[in-house]
Amino acid sequence: MSGPAVRTAGLTRRFGRRWALRGIDLEVARGEVCALLGANGTGKTTLLRVLATLLRPTAGTVEVLGVDVRRGGDSIRGRAALMTPAGHTYEELTGAENLRFAARMAGGTLATEGVREALARVGLADVADQPTRSYSTGMRKRLELARVGLRRLDLVLLDEPFTSLDEAGVALVQEAIADWKAAGAAVILASHRVDDARRQADRVVRLERGSVMAEGGSA
Amino acid sequence: MRRAGAILWKDLLTELRTRQGFSAMLSFAALVLFLFSFAIGPETELLARLAGGLLWVAIVFTGTLALGRAFQSEELAGGVRLLRLYPGDPRAIYLGKLAANLVLLAALEAVLFPATEILFQADLGSHALPLAAVAVLGTGGFSIVGTFFSALTVHLRARELLLPLLLFPALVPIVLGAVGATDAVLAGDALGRAGGWIRLLTAYDVILFVVCVWIFPIVLEE
Repeated sequence: MSGPAVRTAGLTRRFGRRWALRGIDLEVARGEVCALLGANGTGKTTLLRVLATLLRPTAGTVEVLGVDVRRGGDSIRGRAALMTPAGHTYEELTGAENLRFAARMAGGTLATEGVREALARVGLADVADQPTRSYSTGMRKRLELARVGLRRLDLVLLDEPFTSLDEAGVALVQEAIADWKAAGAAVILASHRVDDARRQADRVVRLERGSVMAEGGSA
Repeated sequence: MRRAGAILWKDLLTELRTRQGFSAMLSFAALVLFLFSFAIGPETELLARLAGGLLWVAIVFTGTLALGRAFQSEELAGGVRLLRLYPGDPRAIYLGKLAANLVLLAALEAVLFPATEILFQADLGSHALPLAAVAVLGTGGFSIVGTFFSALTVHLRARELLLPLLLFPALVPIVLGAVGATDAVLAGDALGRAGGWIRLLTAYDVILFVVCVWIFPIVLEE
């Protein structure tokens, strides 16, 4: 498969009268880790949501994994995943049940052993059978990491992946990013933890008021 | 269908774990039936004559509570739109939610029908089969349109008010059909007058199902 994982040209997104993204030109190669930095409200989350096919662009061209987001949403969703800041967790279900649900929604199945392994990788094996309403924010974040890691992906979109995590949790996310990169997947992460983001990124893109203000290699 | 099944499994498991929703629905339905029976008074003949209408009003009122909750669990889990991140047809989300609503309403009706028989002294038991057919069609139509409007209003601030405002006008043919068919069955006219109402219910259910399934993906657009 050739071509970049993400290519946008003049990407614009408007919510009513407010412009969230103004003419974003971005290219992210396969196997590249790109960090989106910027203050609150600069459009990082909106950009990730457009790339994840959750939001339609108002104008501009957006190709994800070689497919136009306006036409091939389903094909993109099969090979890309978005990790949201708050996670996608059902409180009345246990951690194991949440993963099993995610696997079935993705069109697969997950045997009990697979669930245990996925939870063990993120340090949640001991609480696998507890309802997630008893989980801390950091534990939910780890569960979200396990959920995203269930599938083989070509594009991973991480929105504030380090927030609410302890040092061990941050290390888990860093390890996962390294694994995705090694497997040839593109990783785009939006983060406030500038140092962590810079450390792992091949490239840093700074957004301001919905526009790319600076772009360059990681420091 | 696998994804619709996953949503059905998840929603029923959640309902079994909390039980708050179903218990509240059941209490509310019992309260509505009691209020009607007190308001009408002890005249048994009148009570029996009105039983069909009152039963369906109780089902609609209580069912609206259930429908309002159908997509709220998704909002607590981060938003129904996150379900769109999974590959596959988004209509599976609608079908899963619809199936879960049908199971909940069927469980509710399993209590409401006998309660109506006792409170209104209507002879429902000896017409169980034709009444079951009416219940399936009436509940089906109610869930089809209700699940759709529940998804449509879940992001709105005044959703508790807007859901019934949108839903009740769309329910008019279903309530008319269900009440008409129930009354006809109870009057012993299961093959005559009831047949016409059942045909109306069937046609309306099929049309609603096709339309709601067809346009559901638009509801999930942000």
